Amino acid sequence: MNRLIVLTATLLVAMNTFAQKRIVSLNGAVTEIVVALGFERNIVGVDVTSTYPASMQQVAKVGHNRNISAEPVLALNPDLILGTDNFLQPAVVEQFKNVGVKTQIFKQEFSIEGTKKLITEVAAALQVPAKGVALVKQLEKEQASLKIKPTNKRVLFIYARGAGTMLVAGAGTPTEKMIMLAGAQNAASGFNDFKPLTPEALVTANPDVILMFDDGLKSMGGVDGLLKVQGVLQTTAGKEKKVVVMDGALLTGFGPRVIGAAKELAGKLNQ
Amino acid sequence: MNKLFKNISAISGLTILLVQVILIATGTGAMHMSPLQVLAILLHRAGINMPVVYEENMEGVLWMIRLPRVILGVLIGAGLGVAGASLQGLFRNPLADPGLIGISSGASMAAVVMIIIQGSFPVFQSIPLLNFYSLNFAAFAGAIITTLFIFSVARSGGQAVISTMLLAGIAVRALCESVTGLMTYVANNEQLRSITFWSLGSLGGASWTTVMGVTPFILIPVMLLPRLAPAINLLALGEREAMHSGVKVSQLKVQLVILATMAVAAGVAVAGIIGFIGLIVPHIVRQFTGPDYRILIPGAALSGAVLLTIADLVCRTIIAPAELPVGIITAVIGAPFFIWLIVKEKKTIPA
Repeated sequence: MNRLIVLTATLLVAMNTFAQKRIVSLNGAVTEIVVALGFERNIVGVDVTSTYPASMQQVAKVGHNRNISAEPVLALNPDLILGTDNFLQPAVVEQFKNVGVKTQIFKQEFSIEGTKKLITEVAAALQVPAKGVALVKQLEKEQASLKIKPTNKRVLFIYARGAGTMLVAGAGTPTEKMIMLAGAQNAASGFNDFKPLTPEALVTANPDVILMFDDGLKSMGGVDGLLKVQGVLQTTAGKEKKVVVMDGALLTGFGPRVIGAAKELAGKLNQ
Repeated sequence: MNKLFKNISAISGLTILLVQVILIATGTGAMHMSPLQVLAILLHRAGINMPVVYEENMEGVLWMIRLPRVILGVLIGAGLGVAGASLQGLFRNPLADPGLIGISSGASMAAVVMIIIQGSFPVFQSIPLLNFYSLNFAAFAGAIITTLFIFSVARSGGQAVISTMLLAGIAVRALCESVTGLMTYVANNEQLRSITFWSLGSLGGASWTTVMGVTPFILIPVMLLPRLAPAINLLALGEREAMHSGVKVSQLKVQLVILATMAVAAGVAVAGIIGFIGLIVPHIVRQFTGPDYRILIPGAALSGAVLLTIADLVCRTIIAPAELPVGIITAVIGAPFFIWLIVKEKKTIPA
């Protein structure tokens, strides 16, 4: 009997540690991992990149991930703030810590290994390492069944917010990593990060396929709008109207859905 | 006598207004707190306990985030206000402000170059203090060096020629801005974000550390510049006339430039470039007090503080939970007001 009481007591304590947790997640991939680890109902605030799963639409949005200020986040009374170092201003992280809210900032690497590492770290922060291990195992199972045929297709990713702002993904970007995972090559080379798209550079790169976010293509006025951009019609992709779109959070998130994203992209490229 | 009374009432009126603005700004934000709770938290900090219920994290937000931010706004606003007023006096030109003569651009160029350099030298990341404050040092050094350069260009025969200094300042500003623009092309994404943050201005990173950091650099000019006011008044008549009245003009110029640069550099170093305040605040004050610098300088300190505190309040609440760069708000509030002033002036000046 006594043993039973002790056991229930420990169980209750274990449940209590995180059952009441209020979590704010400031990165789409981290949000997906937190949900996958079973803490969906503890999330009280997310940044604008946290679009998946759909239940996140009902959660308070605390601003753009690149422009988070401390007070709106803290106004949600969180007891755990999760984010990644590629977006948050160090001064803001400092403010979270000054107020005494537990804050964990992860380093995100854009690779399948990086995703596994992120899952392990988030699970540790939520004190459910076993669940993290299980999620990593599941990811490895998916990875083993992933059959990607390498193609020699050269893909150019264009980030667009209307025809006025168009940037091309260069070396080291999450998008390039995803294109490679899907067995293709990045048509843009010779520079890091994102660079503004110039017509000449576009013609020189001469991609076989143009890859875009679905809302990015929409902002251009669809494929027809894209074809009106200087230089597009002079490329193979433009001539054959080979434009592939994907959801932004899925394509570049490198969260738990990373294998599915690679599969989807490979499938679309090989159509 | 009547004028003295008017001036005293103007200063005390502005002081009361500033106190009210500080109270409203401290009580308003993304986290909702009632005025009573705000009062209770502040009194609790002072060691007095009031029977008002508030949550623990309210205290954290108010004390660690909101209050330093409001105080930083007051300090930087006051600094920009006095710098603008004294530079307008020095140049005898209503258009002179820290932005026009390149002090702000010099500071921000140095900060932006630092952002880029930091990425290439890991030494900056390994020493936390250096990583955290190197931008502030760079901005400060940039402002001082720019000013010294402009000053040395404008010197002839041991005298800084004011009109040359204004021209040199404008040229240096253009140069600094083009270097900053060039840097945006070599920057990676992360650096680009820091650069944007820097060039639009924000009080979002406020903490007690930053408040302590800027306090001496802003308090010294705010305290000392009013003492130079009688000399600036004489300078308004012209350099020769001021010299005949016993003003050590060369010395005065050096003092004014050093004090104004100090205030502006400290502000840019922690909050980036916040435009317009140094330019319009002195004009607004002049409308009410006339051209006497003895009243204009303290008035500009108070009005600058009021304007920046209001602008920051607007920028952090208008699109909550996100926030706008405060520079946008100061321009939106400032520009129409400024145009209205010009139109009003035009009517009083016979063409």
